[in-house]
Amino acid sequence: MKLQPRRRSFDDPGSSGSLNDLSFLLIIFFIVIAGFNTTKGFLVTLPDTSRPRLVHQEDLMRCTLQSTGAIILDGKEVSLNELSTMVGAKRNAYPNMTFLLVINAETKYQYVIDIIHEIRRLDVENFSFRMEDNVQS
Amino acid sequence: MFSLKKERKKPVIATASMSDIGFLLLIFIMLISLMNQKYEEKIEYTEAKQIEKTEAEENLEIWIRRDGAISIEGDYISLEYLEALIAASVTQDPMVRIHIIADRNTPYKYVDQAVKILQKLQHRVVSFVVREEL
Repeated sequence: MKLQPRRRSFDDPGSSGSLNDLSFLLIIFFIVIAGFNTTKGFLVTLPDTSRPRLVHQEDLMRCTLQSTGAIILDGKEVSLNELSTMVGAKRNAYPNMTFLLVINAETKYQYVIDIIHEIRRLDVENFSFRMEDNVQS
Repeated sequence: MFSLKKERKKPVIATASMSDIGFLLLIFIMLISLMNQKYEEKIEYTEAKQIEKTEAEENLEIWIRRDGAISIEGDYISLEYLEALIAASVTQDPMVRIHIIADRNTPYKYVDQAVKILQKLQHRVVSFVVREEL
């Protein structure tokens, strides 16, 4: 039997096979870069100091955030989950409720963000906040 | 009778070096985009699970370090200068989005300083920048 030697295929000078890989890498790179540059967070409307709003006593839920991160609601310390449950219940009873957060000056910013996150998650429309020892709301 | 006419080769555009060109282009774009990167202060970001995109067409980022130092685009500034800068930005474009990017351990009193300035200038929409919690 006569075995024919295998012919080696020669490189085609017009081949552009690796261009697919390169363009794919380029697309991945742009997707990643585009993701990096977007700014995310919470869009908050600050309380108007010149025109204070009048709120019914029963619509108001006042919460104090201490420097340790402790949440005080109606004079009692509650956890973030408990606060979430209580705010949800209050909102169901009073749809126009206003949540007022009074923040201690030394409170870490992350604790403030945690509360804002919960309020946003519960879709509380009227949210106001101010620093403790501050007369204006 | 023999034909003495030379057989013409079909013209071929060599694209073998295209991959090299593509690679160089990739490196070039990567370097350019790294150069165009936004200013970043070395802070520990605050984190939350559900956040929204707050970027607008025109943005002004106020960075607040945990010691209360305020910077904009790498320049550390006083509160008076911050007020002037925000006023100038808002005058130039009333739709400018102000972002507050503070370290997670920053005492709130420092963030409140910036908030008070915005309230004073009647620019009432502010973005608290947060990193998505994984």
